[in-house]
This record gives sequence, structure tokens and C-alpha cells, in this order.
Amino acid sequence: MPTDNPDPRRPDPDALLSLAAQEKRGKLKVFLGAAPGVGKTFAMLQGLQRLKAEGVDVVIGLVETHGRAETAALIEGQEILPRRIVDYRGRELDEFDIDAALQRRPKLIVVDELAHTNAPDSRHPKRWQDVVELLDAGIDVWTALNVQHLESLADVVARVTGVAVRETVPDRVIQSATDVVLVDIPPAELIQRLKDGKIYLPETAKRATQNFFTLSNLTALRELALRRTADRVDEQMVEHLRAQAIEGPWETSDHILVCIGADEQANAVVRAASRLATGLNGSWVAIHVEPTNLDDSNPERLKRVEDACQLAERLGATVHRTMGSDLVGEVLRFARRENVTQIVVGRSGPKRVWAPFSRRFTDEIIRLSTDTPVHVVNTSGAAAARKALLARLRWPKLDRLVVEGGAAVLAVAAAVGLGELLSAGARLPNLSMIFLLSVLFCAVRFGLWSAIGASFLSFLAYNYFFIEPLYEFTVASPQELLALIIFLIVSAFTGSLAARVRDQSYAVRRRAHNTQILYDFSRKLSGAAKRDEVLWASSTYLQKAQGGHIVFLIPEAGDLAVGSSWPPDIELTTGEMGAARWALQKREPAGWRTNTLPTMRFQFRPLITPRGVVAVCGFEPRQKDQPISPEDERALTAILEQTAIAIDRSLLIGEAVRAAALEGNERLRTTLLASLSHDLRTPLASITGAVTTLRQLGEQMSLSERQDLLASIEEESGRLTRFVVNLLDMSRIESGAMTVRRDFVDIADVVRTSVERARRTFPEIQLETSLARDLPFIRGDANLLEQVIFNLIDNAQKYAGDSGAIIHARREGNEVVISVTDEGTGIKPADLDRVFEKFYRGGRPDGRKAGTGLGLSISKGLVEAMGGKIEAQSPAVKRRGTRIIMHFPAVEAKETRPQ
Amino acid sequence: MTRVLVVDDEIPIQRFLKPALTAAGYEVLIADTGREALRLVATSAPDLVVLDLGLPDRDGKDVLVDIRAFSQIPIIILSARDRETEKIAALDLGADDYVEKPFAIGELMARVRTALRHAGTGRDEAMRFDSGGLCVDLHRRLVSRDGQSLKLTPKEYTLLALLVQHAGRVITHRQILSTVWGPAHVDDAQYLRVLISQLRNKIEADPAIPKLLLTEPGVGYRLWVDD
Repeated sequence: MPTDNPDPRRPDPDALLSLAAQEKRGKLKVFLGAAPGVGKTFAMLQGLQRLKAEGVDVVIGLVETHGRAETAALIEGQEILPRRIVDYRGRELDEFDIDAALQRRPKLIVVDELAHTNAPDSRHPKRWQDVVELLDAGIDVWTALNVQHLESLADVVARVTGVAVRETVPDRVIQSATDVVLVDIPPAELIQRLKDGKIYLPETAKRATQNFFTLSNLTALRELALRRTADRVDEQMVEHLRAQAIEGPWETSDHILVCIGADEQANAVVRAASRLATGLNGSWVAIHVEPTNLDDSNPERLKRVEDACQLAERLGATVHRTMGSDLVGEVLRFARRENVTQIVVGRSGPKRVWAPFSRRFTDEIIRLSTDTPVHVVNTSGAAAARKALLARLRWPKLDRLVVEGGAAVLAVAAAVGLGELLSAGARLPNLSMIFLLSVLFCAVRFGLWSAIGASFLSFLAYNYFFIEPLYEFTVASPQELLALIIFLIVSAFTGSLAARVRDQSYAVRRRAHNTQILYDFSRKLSGAAKRDEVLWASSTYLQKAQGGHIVFLIPEAGDLAVGSSWPPDIELTTGEMGAARWALQKREPAGWRTNTLPTMRFQFRPLITPRGVVAVCGFEPRQKDQPISPEDERALTAILEQTAIAIDRSLLIGEAVRAAALEGNERLRTTLLASLSHDLRTPLASITGAVTTLRQLGEQMSLSERQDLLASIEEESGRLTRFVVNLLDMSRIESGAMTVRRDFVDIADVVRTSVERARRTFPEIQLETSLARDLPFIRGDANLLEQVIFNLIDNAQKYAGDSGAIIHARREGNEVVISVTDEGTGIKPADLDRVFEKFYRGGRPDGRKAGTGLGLSISKGLVEAMGGKIEAQSPAVKRRGTRIIMHFPAVEAKETRPQ
Repeated sequence: MTRVLVVDDEIPIQRFLKPALTAAGYEVLIADTGREALRLVATSAPDLVVLDLGLPDRDGKDVLVDIRAFSQIPIIILSARDRETEKIAALDLGADDYVEKPFAIGELMARVRTALRHAGTGRDEAMRFDSGGLCVDLHRRLVSRDGQSLKLTPKEYTLLALLVQHAGRVITHRQILSTVWGPAHVDDAQYLRVLISQLRNKIEADPAIPKLLLTEPGVGYRLWVDD
């Protein structure tokens, strides 16, 4: 039997996966009520007491008793987290302490009033975000919520009850809840409880009743709560069926697209789409297309778009923002790509005055979307449209009005002057072209409003100065009047067209500017190999593009450190560091205008590469109270992405360099091992060989042969000892354990002892000394200096054989100079600097590497420890040989005199 | 008189090797360099070469290859323990045995005697082995331990025969693998470990403490011979 088709009743892997993800997260239980006072907190605390009795580790994070005695009684005996006291404008607010909760890590925590807005400067603006963080940390949470606070129901509730709801919770929080418990009592009973003073504090009860606690309101809210709970139960049923692979009618494939415009009704359209998606149990996406031909300097427009997009995100939609001149085309292309099944749009406002023939967005989308149903949301009808129109016809600000109006007046005055001049010279049939010129000038230089102003002024001035009767605002012949009106229409038209051309060219210039910045930036980056260079380039360019302060933070040892900033000496506050850390850990933006610590000066964004977050960028917005324009946002994103790639590259380069250094170390170690093995083994092999020979074959040998073997044992032991002493010295110098005396040292004495020792060690060696008379003392350690000179003679013997060495000592200025010169092959100029390195060994005349490569480096260490300097010269004499020269500061004679 | 050529540039080594070998009854020639060694092998007809791998003018292995190009004279390598790969390479290139520095003179002498015996007696006579209670007759394909006849699998017998033919000398893993399993399996050392353990179970008195089939760590195996 073929097994190609998987068992159709196998559990859906996605469903199982989402179950698994839920298991790692904490579980959320929401006590949902229709209104305050239904007993949510009470029900929650009762459940808590039961769990506590069962021995579950439960903690009360925050519970508001509103002074209710029964509720307060239930808290008795429970562990309650202390609240965080926040000082806000002289008032003390006590808030839920999320850090304490995370540190305490109970199995279950109770956090009341999910819709609460936290005090400013809290980590999250909203309490539900605290709860999400707790759940992410694997802590179970019980919380309470009134149905009117659900985001998607906010406008329905406002319409039904007439009370605007400011504190809202995204629906997805409830959707992610493991359990939703409905706490319900009949409305009449609730009102009775209110009257009895069991809800809220008595003095506020009366106002609350009037505004909110009416029977009709409460009934409507109760219905909403019941329906929401039923929806949630339904969803759970579907999840269960899918996970258990039970066949059932859960098929849903509706994918809804909502178009976010810049008008007043955007939020309402988004909410409508959200409700539609929930009702159809489908997924939904939102799209906003920014017209490319628009000067996007209007901050209110931007804010509306931003708000609507954020709302859509909070309600669970994926938001796409693109740019295009053909809005309808963009939307439909996107819809096809995303396999959208239904489109939701708002109703377009009235047509624009200066573009009476353009088609309205809504009409166009209905006309062109032939295979996809389109829902048109009609919000508050004409009022909203009028408001939208008014908003669009918003007058420019006063200063701009003065400039633009002034320009229009001047341009028209110039036209009048020119007209008078021309008509004085020659009789022209029609002077209206001159006025049209001034209108076009205003349009191109000062925009739409100036052009419209100039049109009207031209209309009046033309009439006044050039149409009979002159210098009156009356018109004699009806033809003239017709011509005048046509002139007005034509000038208004051409003016508005020219103004749009101007706006477009302005937008193009800005885009070109941003492109230029990006281009320069990428060129600059390609030359930056080190991370600091990358960060410095990024901060200067971001500053250029963004305007405000810029700071880059680098993850270091689990924390963040400032890597680069503009201006260079920015100090971050604790709160700002907190936001930056959030961005690092959660890999999402934090700080200004985000969900985390939005009151901060900076917004922090993580720079993410495949290796993780390589840096966090903090930037100050150009204008604090406005969202970033799409144009700036794009430039910002592009710069940050390029920076992330460049940092990644610089880290790779760093790793390559480190790997090369490691390889160098490895080579050094291999050399060291080879050297150690050779230098230790050869004397050992000789000693072992000679000793075993003497024992086994000594009787067959002559006396002289036996004596020779014994001598070789003695010599090789000496060689071994010197080697071990050198090794120990080296390690003492390296570890800093070498103690150096600072006595007065008589150089002649030391040279003599070293030479004697060398003669004992190398009986054949020829040594000469040449010591100046009356050499001053130096400060140092006689034993160590002797060791140094002996090492140098030893070296000379190794490389020059028994031709030996000459030792000079003389005074030069206030220094004593000691040198040891041999007549060996010398050192190659390229190697002169390296001879003092550890384990560097020159070649012997026979081609073998000689010595341990320790003698000179030990000498250098010792000389420097005594405050001297050491250098090598080669060739020394007659193009051969090596000279090692040591300089020591001389001790002045008076210092040495006895006091 | 048997002539031994010592190739080593370290004076202290020469200093004891020469009197030791002389006292043991050999005539000793000394070479400091690889070039000198080749010259002496070609002109002075030594019976055995003691070759140090670290020579000043060239690699000892190259000297070995050059000698093997015209002579089957026994060669014993002197080497350091940390140059295992060089040691194995030298054995594979045709060296007869090796001694690690530092060494006791007795060890070197024993290796010299074994190598000379093999060279002098020729391959034919290495068809019989009788030592430590193990008796192998390659002509009659008989293997017995303390008089008791042993039953070996064909592979075990091939391995044992190889060891007997080179009794007293080290055989590298590579040489064994190539002979027993063929040249395609020279890297499959795990085959060998299993087979060696099977063979030890049959021929050793106490397989946990092998007395006959000895491991040369990292290099190969050696069949022990009672001198």
C-alpha cells in the first residue's frame, strides 16, 4: 500500500507546535466581566485560596480591593508583593513591581486590572505588557478584565454607552489566554450592589451610576462579554479538534485586507476590519500606501496614519507600508500577492476641488477589484467627511501665510506694473498671460495656497487695472466678464497643477538627498574594517539623516557599553539603558514611541544579524511629538541594516585576525616544544647512554674510555642544569616573580666573575676583556648581571665557537656601556629586532638551530629589570660577528660616598 | 668483525656509542651528516646502520630512502618519542627497527643483535618460532602453546606468520593491515585491534598481561623473542 499520502487524520503539526509553545510559556487565566463590580477580583481570590491550600506557590502581585471588606478578607494570609512607589509630579503612585515579580518567580501570580495604564517611566506603558513579560518568563498569571476594555470593542462600547474608553487591551492577549472565565451577575443585581455601596467608594458611586451603570448599558455590555467568552470557547474547541486530529467543520480561509488611509475614519475602519476578521475567524493584514506625489510634511496626517497602523498592530494585524503613485493598483497587487479574500476600505470623502475629474479611491477600488468582495465602512457619515475636507483645507500656519500671501501680492503687483509698462508702449490685446505668469511663479516657488491667492488677486487686479471701465471693479461688457471668469478658472487650474509639480519635485529632491546620504554612507562603510570605524561612520551619517543625538551600544559581557555616539560624550540615564537592554534582549525596538519605556528621549533599535544582536542603536527623533516620516524611516532602516552587515563583517575580520594570531601562538608552542624536547633529550640521552654503557660494558673498556664517559656525564649534566636554570629564570621574569636588588654594582668585578665562570664551562674559549679605568657604579643586582654576561658569552661560544669574545666596558656621558662582541657569522639585519624574542634561535655554521632561544630574551628581561637597555649590532667587526650592547645609568660618585 | 655505522651529529651521543659498541665487539664507523653516511654505506660496507632522524644537512628519512635504493642492510632508527609519525614513516620506508631517545645501551644492543640475526640468517630460516611457550612452524602450518595444538582462523594465522617472520622487530599497523587485509584497508586500524585481541586470547598465557605479542604504542606490534 502506498504511503505517499500522510494519514489525513494525523494531528496537525502546527497545532501541536503551538501547544508545545504554550507549555513553555506561563498560562494566562482571564476573569472577564461585563462591568466593574461583578466580582472578578473576588472570584479570582477565591480560586487563589484554593490553590494556596493545595500548596501551589502563589503570590499576589497586585490586587485592588476598592475598600471592599469581603475582598480584603480574602487577601489575608496570602503573600503580597510590595508595590513600586513612583513619584509622578509630586503625587505618589503605587504600581505593580514587575522586576520584583520576575525575581520572586512564583508558579502563579495574580495581577488585577489588566487594562491599567502604568505610571510614566515604567518599563511598559500598559499593564498587559507586564503580564505578557511574566508569561514569557514562564510564570502563570491570573488577571481580571472588563469587556469594555477590549480593543476591538472600544468603539462599539463607546457607541452603546456613550462613554469613551481610553484604556484598552489588544484582543490577542485574550486570545492567547489558556482560560477565559466569565464572571457574571444580572444587571439589576449589579445596580442594586452599586446602590448598596458595594462597588467603588461611596462618593464616586453616584457619578458612576449616572454615566455608566444604566440597565441598558449593562445589558449590552453583558451581551458583549457573553459573546466574547463564547467566541473564545469556540476557538479553544477548534484548537482542540485540530490538535487531536478530529475532523470537523473548522475550515476557515478568510484573509482580510484593510486599507489604512490618512483620514479621520482610519481607526474606525481598522476596528471594523478587526471585528470582521474575528467574526469570520480569519486572518487579516493592513496596508498603507504613502502617495509618492505628496509632500509628507503634514504632521497631523502622519500621526493619523501612524495611530491607525499601531492600532491595527495591537489588534493583531500585520501592517505593510509601501509607497506608490497608483494607490489602487498597489493595494490590488498586494491583495493578489497575499491571496486576500475580502477588502475593507473606508468611504472616500468628497472630491478634491482642484482635481474634479480624479476618481475617488473607494470608487476605483470597487471598480477594479472584480473578484474580491469589498466592504465599505461608513463611519460617522457626512460629519466625518466634512471634517476630513476641512482638515485637508487646513490653512497654512501664520508665518507661512504671511510669506505666501506676501509673495502672491508682490507677484501680482509686478504683473500690474509690467502690464502698465507694456500697454503704455504698445496696445496689447490681452494682458491676462502676464497674470498667469505671476500665478505660475507663486505656484512653483510657494506652493498651492500662494497660487490660489495669486489667482484671485490677479482676477481682481486685471479687472481693476486693465478692463473697461478702468480703476473700478465693474465690468462693462459681458464678453469681458466671461473672459475674466475663464481666466480665474484657468489660473486656479494651472496654479494647482504647477503647485503639485513643485511638491513632487520637492519630494524627489528629498528622496535624492536621502539616496545620496545612503550612497555616501555605503561607500564610507566599505572602507571601514573595524567595528569602531563602522560605528563612527554610522553615527555621523545617522545624525545627518535623522538630526538628533545618536548613540550606538555594543553588547559586552552580557551588558551594553557605549560604542560610539554623536555628539561624542552622550551619557545615558538608567531608564535609557533599561530600554536599550530591552532592545538587546527582546530584539525589538524600545524607548520613544514604542511599547516599552515610551517616555525616553531615545528610541533604541537592535541591529540583528545571523550571529545575533551585534549592536543597539539609540536615536533622538527630529521632532519628539511626531512619528518618523516614512521617508526618514526608510533611510533609518537602510542605514541600520547596512551598519549591522558592516559590523558583522568587521567581527568576521576580527575573528580571522584572532585565528591568525592563535595560529601564530600555536606555531610558537610547537617551536617551544621542539626546542624543549631537543634541548632536554640530548643531554638526557647522553647521560643515560653513558651510564648504561658504564654499567654493562665498563669492564671491557679501558680506564681512559671510562674516564671520558664520566666526563661526558658531568658536562651534559651541567648543560642540562643551565637549560633548566634558564627556563626557570624565564618563567620568573614572565610571571614578575623575579626580585631584583638595587645595590651598587662594580662592573669590573662582575665581568671578572662571569669570565671566570665561562672559562670553567668552556675551557677552550678565548676571552678578552677591556675595561675602562674608574668605571662608575651602576645600580642593580651583581648576580643577575653576572648571569647576563655569562649568557652573552655562552651565546658567543655557540655561534662563534672557541674563537671567543671580547668584553668592553666604558663610560659614555652618564651611562655605563657594556658590550660583548664575537666574530661569528653575525645576525641578518632583518632578524636584529627578533633576537631578543623568546625561542628565537639563529642558525649555527653547520646549519642546525642552536641553543634554546632563551639566553638573549632572559638577558633582555634582566637588563630591563635593572633599569638598563640592551641592543644588538651586526656585523660588528670586519663584516662579521655580533655585538650585544647594554646601557646602564651611571651612579654619580657623590652618591656612593659614605655619609 | 661486524661493522656498525653510527649516523648522529650529537657529539655526546657519539661519545658513548662508540666505546659501548666497541666494547661489545663491533667495529664502529661514525658519520656526522647524511652525505657522509651514504658515502660510508657505499664504500665501507657496514653490516648495520644506527641512524638518527635529525641530521644537520638533510632529513634522516631521505637518507634511509637513498640507502634502501641500493642496499638491504639492516637499519635501526634513533628517534625522539614526540616524532611518532616520522618513526612510523621510517619503518614503512624500510627501516628494520627503532630505539627511542633516551635509551639504555642494553636495549640498543638487543635490537642490534636481532637485526643482525635476521639479516645474517635470511628469511627462510625465520620459518620457525619457539619462545615463551609458543611454538610456530610455518612450513607445516602448526601452532602450539605449551605442547597443546592451537586452532587459528586464517586471518589470525596470517597475522601470526607475519609476526614470526619479523620476530623481535616492530611491524607497523600499516604493514600488518596491508598484508592481512590488503592495501585497500591500510587505514582500518580497528580491524587490527580486534584481530590482535583474538590472537592474544589464544596464544598468551594471560591475555590481560601480554608477554609475547607486545604493543608498540602508536607504532605497531612486536613479537617478543627470548635472547
